[in-house]
Formats: sequence, C-alpha cells, structure tokens
Amino acid sequence: PAPPALLPYVPRLSPMALPGKLTATTFALERPRCIFQQHSSASDAVWLVVAFANASASFRNPPSRAEVPLYQQLPTRGSYMTLETAVGTDPCPAPGPAVLRVGGDTACGAQAGQDPCNGPLPSPGPYRVKFLLMGCQGPKAESRWSEPILLPRASSPSAIDPRPVRAGSSDVVVISSLLASLGAVLALAVLSTLGAEVWAALCHQGLGTDAFARRSYRTHHIPPALPLPTGCGGSPPGLGCFASCPPA
Amino acid sequence: MAKSDDGIHILQGLLVFGNVVIGICGIALTAECIYFVSNPNGLYPLLEATENKDIYAGAWIGIFVGFALFALAVLGIIGVIKADRTLLLVYIILMLITYAFEMASCITAATHRDSLTPNFFLKQMLERYQKSGTGNSSDKSLDERLTQTWDNLMLQNKCCGVHGPSDWQEYTSAFRVEHNDADFPWPHNCCVMNAQGSPVSLDGCKLGVSGYYNSNGCYDAISGPMNAHAWGVAWFGFAILCWTFCVLLGTMFYWSQIDY
Repeated sequence: PAPPALLPYVPRLSPMALPGKLTATTFALERPRCIFQQHSSASDAVWLVVAFANASASFRNPPSRAEVPLYQQLPTRGSYMTLETAVGTDPCPAPGPAVLRVGGDTACGAQAGQDPCNGPLPSPGPYRVKFLLMGCQGPKAESRWSEPILLPRASSPSAIDPRPVRAGSSDVVVISSLLASLGAVLALAVLSTLGAEVWAALCHQGLGTDAFARRSYRTHHIPPALPLPTGCGGSPPGLGCFASCPPA
Repeated sequence: MAKSDDGIHILQGLLVFGNVVIGICGIALTAECIYFVSNPNGLYPLLEATENKDIYAGAWIGIFVGFALFALAVLGIIGVIKADRTLLLVYIILMLITYAFEMASCITAATHRDSLTPNFFLKQMLERYQKSGTGNSSDKSLDERLTQTWDNLMLQNKCCGVHGPSDWQEYTSAFRVEHNDADFPWPHNCCVMNAQGSPVSLDGCKLGVSGYYNSNGCYDAISGPMNAHAWGVAWFGFAILCWTFCVLLGTMFYWSQIDY
C-alpha cells in the first residue's frame, strides 16, 4: 500500500484564551477542520497520535486498526492513539466543539482494557501529537507533528510567603505613634496636676498664695475670745477663774 | 469675679458637651463591635484556623470600652455639674484606664489587618481546603469549617480561589490530593451553577470557557469586610480617643480650678 499522504497541517494548542487548556494532566488542541477532505471516505476514522517528544521520530504508523497502540502502552511504547473520530457520510463536518481535550477521561486506564481511550497524561512530557487518517487498508493521510507540548508542574504552597510586603504600614505607624504621644501627654498632665496639688497641700498650709490666684476661697473666720467657764463673771481672760477669796 | 464665673460656666458647658459626645460614641462603638463579633460575613473560620484572631480581640475589647465610655461620660457630666473634686478625680483615673485599653484595641486591630495579605489566605486555602486524613479532632473541625466557608464564599460571590482559578493549577494543594487534575482542574464550586445548584456545563467549566466558570478571585470579597472591620475598630476608636484626650485635658484644668 502507498505511504500515507503528508499534509502540511501542524496541530497546535487551542488559540482561545482558556485557562484550562493546559493543565498538569490534560491539554486542549485546536480541532482541525476539513484537512482530510481530499483523502477521506465514509468508512475512515481520524485518530490522534500522542507520543513523547523524544519518541515521535521513531513512531511507525500502525498498519491496521487492530494494531493501534493503546493508552495503557504509553509508558512502554512511548506513544498511543486516541480520540478516534469517524468521518461518516459528511467528510467535512459542520463546526462542532472547537477543541479536542486530550486526557479528559479519568475512567480510562483503571482496567487493562483493549479499547482505545483518552486517559490523563501521566507526566508533564513534553509530548508531540499528529493526526492520522486510518482507512480499512491502513493509514491514508497524516498531518505533521506538532511542536513539543510541555505540561505545567505545580509548585508547593510552602513556598508562599504570607508576610506583608511592607512590614508596618502607614496606618499602624500613624495610629500607634499618635496614640502613644497622646497617652503620654495625658499621663504627664494627670501626674503634674496631682503632683502640684500634693505639693501645694504640703508646703502651703492655710491660705493659698498667688499660684491659685483666681480661686475663690473663704477666709477662716477667727472666733472671738474663748468662752469663760461658768461661775466666773467679768474677769479678764487668761487669769483663770478663782472663787472670790474671802477677805483675810 | 463675674468674668471668671462666666469662664468657668463656659468650661462647664463645654465639658458637659464633650462628655455627651463621648457617651454617644461609646454606645456607637459598642454596637459596631457587637456587629463585627457576630460574624455577619461568615469569615471568622478563616481567621480561627490560624489561631491569630487579634482583629476579633480588638472588637471584643471595643464592646467593653464603649460601654465604659458611656458610663464614665455620665459620671463626668454629674461631676462637672456638681463641681465635685472626688467624682472628677475618679472620672479622670477611670478614663485613663479606659484610654489605655482602647489604645491597645486600636493598635492590635490595625496591626492584624496588615497581616491579612492575599498570600496569607492563599497559603491557608491551599493547605487546608478539603483537607482530609489524620490530625486531632480540633484541627479536623477547623478544616471542615474552613472548607465550608470557602464553599459558601465561592458560591455566593461567584469567585474562585484567591487570585483566580489558576491558583489551583500553579500550586499543589490538599484539594489536589483528594481530586484528580483531569476532572477537577479547580473545584466545581468555581463553575457557574444553574438553579438546581449543579454546574451548567462541566466540560466548559473544566476547560475554562468564559461564561461557564468564575474567573475572578475571592480576595476582594474577603478583604472588603476585613477592611471595614479594621476601619471600624481601629480608626473609629482612634477618633474617639483624640476627642477624649481633649475632654480629659479640659476636665483636669477644671478640676484644678474648683475649690475644696
């Protein structure tokens, strides 16, 4: 049989801005439109060949559908084929979903099945893919190999530094410094007021001095002479009180 | 003497007005701090998991300080009107103590707010969201509450991760240990949900087709309430303290002017 026709189409990742088009175990390719139009017939099928980038050069197209390498054989053979799409009666189908997601079938690989399936990729790669048109007699046409596709590796969250970029932002500095200074002024004011009162009470007994100028104070009213003991009358103070002495 | 009597009366009036304002602000501070402590946005488990809850400690202190300010303001008004030296001395001393507590509350709330960076929440989310497995029971219940908080956050605010869904791809996580990457590039709560609570299109969500997943991060939904909380406790408390400072200085001057 004639070797398959080599088409100039190069598979590539979907150009749409999709955050999920390249994950740790899957990637999304742009769906090729009508590239096999000239070569296909109703009973053919388009396959996707996925191979490690260093094994793509040594990949040989399988001669028939029965010898298609399966997903489970990727670690040993370095390649597999998946995403079989029948061409059907219309060789150039109407636009369907715009992407082909490689690795989306997590039920695949659990059992050692004999059917091709689309399991998640076991390692970051890099991988290369190409499209292969298989007929009843074998491969009829193929696209070129894609550029190497490297899947991202996630890093550990322990590398994240949660500390703020600038330690001690302006908010905290303003609040702390103003409050501290106000508090200190208040404490000083209370201490000085109390201290002045205590000092005044100790050093200035009785009437106040000019320090308390505008204070209104009551003068202590000095009472008149001490009351005389009863029984005496009219004697001047300080001489005590004697019973009238009997004339000698 | 009439002029100094007028001056004293003006000072009395100002002090009564100052104390009325302090009383009103004290009630407002108490009400506001009770509101924050009641956890209206359901974000408390995010802080509980880190055992650093200073911003809530600031709010708790604020409740009691607010009430103390109100009580002391009433005492101050009585003391100023009666020109009673003992009452005013008690008022000044207790106000200073309250001042010190409110200072502590403001500074801790402001400092803790600074430590709540996006990376802080990112690291916590990656290490604890949907974490299962061994650990003591208090850790497990903290993780469950944190998971529930994040689920509610992502569903109600229609957001994903801290910066976006790429957080789940850039870093390994406890979530990644439980769920494989092909089916769950990010949690399904990041998908746009229909009325029944299931994703509108799971394939669209997994690929990241716009309209089927939430592309924005949840940090704004977290930091908004946290900022309001910090502003309410720290800056409002600071404003009250500035006003209280003036009233206290005036009261001390007044105290030194009244006679025995």
